[in-house]
Amino acid sequence: MNLLIINLISWLIFFFGAAFPVLIMLKAIGLTGFMKVTRFESYHTFYYRMNPAVKIILGIVVMAVAALTIWWIGALMTVVILLTYLTLKDGKRKFATGFFLTMMTTIGTTWAFAPYTPYAILNEAFHGSALTSLWVWPSYFTVMGYQPDLTVQGLIYGFQISMRFTAVSLMSLVLVMTSTPSQVLRSLNKVGVPISITFSLVIAMRTVPRIFEYIDTSVKIQFMRGLGSRAPRFLRPFYVLVGAINGIVPVIVFLVRGAKDTAISADTRAFRAYQKRTYMRPATIGRVDRMAFSIIVLVILITVIAVLMGFGRGIPYNG
Amino acid sequence: MKALEIKGLKFSYIGSEDSAIEIDHLSIEDGETVLITGKSGGGKSTLVNCITGIIPHAFHGEYEGTVEVYGQNVAETSLAKLSTEVGTVLQNPETQVLNYTVEEEVAFGPENLCLESDDIVSRVAEAIEITGISSLNERETYALSGGEMQRVAIAAVLSMRPKLLILDEPTSNIDPEGTAKVFEILKRLKEEKTLIVVEHKVERVLPFVDRIIVIDNGKIFLDIRSHDLIHHVDKMLEIGIEVPIHYIYARKNGIDSDDLDLIREKLREKGMIPASPLRARPARTVLRAAILVSTASGKPLADCSIDLEERHILAIMGRNGAGKTTFLKGVMGFLDTDLRSEVSIILDGRDISGEHIINRGREIAFVPQNFDLTLINKSVEREVAYSINKRKKKSYGNRLDELMDMFSLSDLRYRDPLSLSLGQRRRVAIASAIATDVRVIMFDEPTSGQDYFHKEALGRELVRLKEAGYSIIVVTHDSRFVYKYADRIVVLDKGKKVLDGTPEAVFHESWKYSVLPPSDFLLRSDEYELVNY
Repeated sequence: MNLLIINLISWLIFFFGAAFPVLIMLKAIGLTGFMKVTRFESYHTFYYRMNPAVKIILGIVVMAVAALTIWWIGALMTVVILLTYLTLKDGKRKFATGFFLTMMTTIGTTWAFAPYTPYAILNEAFHGSALTSLWVWPSYFTVMGYQPDLTVQGLIYGFQISMRFTAVSLMSLVLVMTSTPSQVLRSLNKVGVPISITFSLVIAMRTVPRIFEYIDTSVKIQFMRGLGSRAPRFLRPFYVLVGAINGIVPVIVFLVRGAKDTAISADTRAFRAYQKRTYMRPATIGRVDRMAFSIIVLVILITVIAVLMGFGRGIPYNG
Repeated sequence: MKALEIKGLKFSYIGSEDSAIEIDHLSIEDGETVLITGKSGGGKSTLVNCITGIIPHAFHGEYEGTVEVYGQNVAETSLAKLSTEVGTVLQNPETQVLNYTVEEEVAFGPENLCLESDDIVSRVAEAIEITGISSLNERETYALSGGEMQRVAIAAVLSMRPKLLILDEPTSNIDPEGTAKVFEILKRLKEEKTLIVVEHKVERVLPFVDRIIVIDNGKIFLDIRSHDLIHHVDKMLEIGIEVPIHYIYARKNGIDSDDLDLIREKLREKGMIPASPLRARPARTVLRAAILVSTASGKPLADCSIDLEERHILAIMGRNGAGKTTFLKGVMGFLDTDLRSEVSIILDGRDISGEHIINRGREIAFVPQNFDLTLINKSVEREVAYSINKRKKKSYGNRLDELMDMFSLSDLRYRDPLSLSLGQRRRVAIASAIATDVRVIMFDEPTSGQDYFHKEALGRELVRLKEAGYSIIVVTHDSRFVYKYADRIVVLDKGKKVLDGTPEAVFHESWKYSVLPPSDFLLRSDEYELVNY
């Protein structure tokens, strides 16, 4: 093969893992998509009726299970949690956003591991079977002694590792999308987290969707003012990223200017008057929570059985 | 009983040698309704913070004197304790509202006071009833209109059951309909509480207040009964406070009355009715935009066609949610991809409907309400030159200097735009928006939250831009501003264009769509024409 083509393909493959997730992020999800999955919307399905403390426990259990068991249990949980997105308000849109977020995480993580995992580890993970090479980069790609070789096993290995993150990411968003900050505050205070810490979390939950909204406005105005006007069309999504980075400082300054009012608003309504707060609707444990607890117990049991049967975390990942 | 008593108050912020507020003596009786007015930066907010206890408890600096609220020394009483005596509603409900649901927001204060849940429920119900927001109870706060959100903010403060309520420009971000509802609440509260309303627009609050206190340079400049205002018009104007126009003419012509009808009659008798502002003559159409937008579920948001004439200032008015901002977004290509839309934009006879934002931006500029979001560069010079550089305009060698001069920015050339004053930042945002070949400039709510001084400055900037050849669209609720500076008004209602014409023609019936005519117009109009108003 022509040396130039080899180099071109090498760089394309190299950047694929970083560029493709960014492309998904900007093209398929968009800043407004991020706004939707970081904001609470009222609805009536089970997640919305669940006690936030139970959702937090569920998240911790999902994280522990994904970390302790074989990769396909994590993958299974990812699929199940993603399917439950369909029960959320505007479920199809949120399912699509969740799907693309999972794709982003999977591709990004796979690409972060696949080219850099040493043969020794791959051999161990795949019982010493022969590695199938897909692409060999020119020698100048060698980083800290790692072999510049992309193998099928490396990709599988990276994919399996990504399954440790996807389920917990999706579960965390469920908490944000289905609980109001006040509900979270109530639950966390009940388990003894200081009000000042939980209040910061509440403000963050209120602010994050706004950040996406304001950055979206900033980026669009930069486009109007000529950002990316001389670049080819296919590069425009990347200019969204450039615009978003440019917009961070004014957005933060804008939010900080408003933060003074937020502080005054809280202080003049007796915030932190006492160590604890009372609540108009004290957190209760309902039928949905009991069902969720049953699921949590079931998941823990399955995990224990899986680990005992040899499906625990460890090499080989590919089970 | 005294609701408020201030003696020898002097406060300066850390790092500043000058006093932000200096008041020898001020007292407000229980049950009084007082307007505090003055220019931006004059010390109104500092005074409010001294009354609420934010100064000295949360904001520190050099503090002297005493402030007593219902006999309690503010400096010696905790903020929590004070919050049951004095409640504050701030200018921008968006930054004030902390929770996602209305009910949670209203319950926030009582919950902080560690009250029993039954007590919280009854306080929340009471506050919701007073403010008439029971229909909003289950709604997310971010989905509320400005007016609705402001009523929620008032309810959230009322649930603390304060005896003294301070409203800091409570209507500056909301439409006339929302404003009317807020004033309905104030009317009701006037019977029960001591009210302090901080407001730039004297005309709006005059019917509700007993007393007017003008703060200038941190000092009490004027302290008068409200019915006495007509005798102090000159003083108010002297320091740049907006007063109803008929007061000014009454004063000029020696008419001792504040009744608009009577003043108009007297002026007519004397042949002194002022002429209407000059409007631009009809000109060729520069921009023709037809926008049809609905939500994914089919709910219509905008269905209107609006023409903009060359070198004209066109104001788009209407209630919150009437489709004004959706219209602007449609013209710029900013519409959310979730929405269904059919957009036709003809600019100078050329169809640009299919063009990307980048290409539309070559000829159309947009200055959003939150114009700070557009200031992305480290210096004013780089900010203004941004479009010129991005579009590689070679013929624009002198353009930068021209813009710097036009907007008086030359001395600020190397300053960080975000560190400038409000007026300066807006000038940078406008200069940078029009730096290249744009011919149409659109402003979204540029008058919102601005005092008289800044609005006048903005009006002059718009006229200058018009004279320089630009065609301008302004979305605003400010009837007085529109009457003074716009050549034409379009009123939208439920997404449709319902009125279109000169301010003189439109203000005759705009009240039907919650666009109230300003006193400037009413003074010049015959009574019979306003029979329905």
